[in-house]
Amino acid sequence: MSIKGAAFRVAFAAGLRPWRSHRSAFPVPYWLLSPSVVPLVVIVFIPMVFAIYISLTALNQNTIGNWTQAPFVGLKHYLDGLDPRGPLAPSFYTSIKASVIFSVATTLFIHTIGVGAALLLNGNLRGRTFIRAVMLLPYIIPTFVNGILWRLVFMTDTGIADQIQAALHLGPRDTFWLIGPRSLWALILADVWASWPFIYLMALAALQTIPADVYDAARIDGATPIRIFRRITLPLIAPTLGLGIALSTINHFNNFALPYVMFGPTPPDEVNVLPLNIYVNSFITFNLGLGAAMSVVALVIMLTPAVLYLRAARVGDAD
Amino acid sequence: MAIAASIRLRDFSGWWRYIVALGYLAFVLAPFFYMALVALQTDSGAGNGDFLPTQPQWKNFSRIWETVDLGLYLRNSLIVSTSTGAIASLLALGAAYVVARFRFPFRNTFRISLLATQTVPGILLLLPLFVIYIIIQHAIQVRIVGTYWGLVLTYMTFALPFAIWLLSVYVKSLPVELEEQAMVDGANRFRVIRHVTLPLALPGIAVTFVFSFLLAWNDILFASVLTSPETKTLGPGLQYFVSESFSIPYWNLLMAASLVVAVPAMILFLIVQRYIVAGLAAGSIKG
Repeated sequence: MSIKGAAFRVAFAAGLRPWRSHRSAFPVPYWLLSPSVVPLVVIVFIPMVFAIYISLTALNQNTIGNWTQAPFVGLKHYLDGLDPRGPLAPSFYTSIKASVIFSVATTLFIHTIGVGAALLLNGNLRGRTFIRAVMLLPYIIPTFVNGILWRLVFMTDTGIADQIQAALHLGPRDTFWLIGPRSLWALILADVWASWPFIYLMALAALQTIPADVYDAARIDGATPIRIFRRITLPLIAPTLGLGIALSTINHFNNFALPYVMFGPTPPDEVNVLPLNIYVNSFITFNLGLGAAMSVVALVIMLTPAVLYLRAARVGDAD
Repeated sequence: MAIAASIRLRDFSGWWRYIVALGYLAFVLAPFFYMALVALQTDSGAGNGDFLPTQPQWKNFSRIWETVDLGLYLRNSLIVSTSTGAIASLLALGAAYVVARFRFPFRNTFRISLLATQTVPGILLLLPLFVIYIIIQHAIQVRIVGTYWGLVLTYMTFALPFAIWLLSVYVKSLPVELEEQAMVDGANRFRVIRHVTLPLALPGIAVTFVFSFLLAWNDILFASVLTSPETKTLGPGLQYFVSESFSIPYWNLLMAASLVVAVPAMILFLIVQRYIVAGLAAGSIKG
């Protein structure tokens, strides 16, 4: 049993070992595959194609009553949003910027915290089982509750953040956390707190595939803990972290619920992330065509981390 | 000598790790502590942002059941989330088995599109999916929107890509010889999976169950469109505590309810916890 990398790299690279050709003596049981493929086509693929079509039409509050007849406008919505001189460009680019900053910062923090916790709890520690269970708690708090919780924490003057800050003389009690530039930090903290256990779980699983004798040998050879981490641990968990980074960048970029609950439909610019902007355009001003076009742009942006990951994991090279 | 050295070196990790562990515990638990404090406030105290409740309102924990139909939402969420977890895991096991054990046309396309599916923003699908459900409803005269199974179908499908990934790796790490032996003994494919693969893949299935369960448990976006008053889940249901229908938002009751409804999910986590780590770890072994 070779230990070569971890969970999700292998998930893709699983085909790298020589294929067991004798299995092909049996017919492929498509009946096992179709119960997954059919819903994926009907519930993800067709709506996606449909959404791309909507993005090319002027589907809005005037045409929604007779939506099959919504006029075709081609790439108008894309040009409206993307043309730097266009009327919608400021709001659109603000949102793209907010989303990128939010998703990159969150990904960075949850990986630092998650890998740290995994390293800590992979070793011998009294009460390890208990601590491992507690670490997962934020993950089961519904997103809506999490948003409300942090909104209460960051409420101006009455929130605990302002009260602590005032008590420690770090800042005035009437500091605004939910309006203005600080709102980005409030959002990042709320999201980091709720989502780091996912990375912790993945990192812990990856660490557990490294046999203890590798470490023992390294220690006996006199390697320092930092050297062991850099030369043994990090390379072995890097594939898992790669997938974690890709998935987390995508998921946080697409996170609608948390910013919506914390800031509502009229958020400050700093946290006017793309999904919020899309929601407002689609379901409040009912410019569904424009909303769909912005969603497609979001999708294209998010293909970047996905493609980078696929290239790094070299999926499909071998089989 | 080597053993003595390794024991000594392991112990050297030392006390500072407990300090770090305490830091983590504080980071995780402080917000829960705050939730509990808010939950025990009076209605006005919670609104004013008082820190310590002057008089702990334990009766808030019984008021939550009367103020909104929390029992119904909790029941609906448990039904929908558990079904989502179970069905997604079983379907994913079938698909993962085929991906792990067979070559077929578009196999790589299928695997890559699983990752691509993750990049689709949920909000992009919301309206088209709703319209498609309505069209299907008219075509086959079966209600989808507002039913349990409409919700389960939706969440299950969103959970499938991740579940198939994880389980295909897992199945691949299982020895193929056991299955071949069973086939030689005359078992058909279904029996092989049911009696050989499934028991061996249980840890992996526990992981996919929890991920799919949480996907359904945490959703607001699709739940707010696809539920009826009878099938309303916790996501939209909890929002009633702070909705316009009351004279003031009941922050205290919202927090009390959130703590209470976290308990079933927590029990589930504790039960499958031992499998989670084992399952994720086994998924990463290249066998």
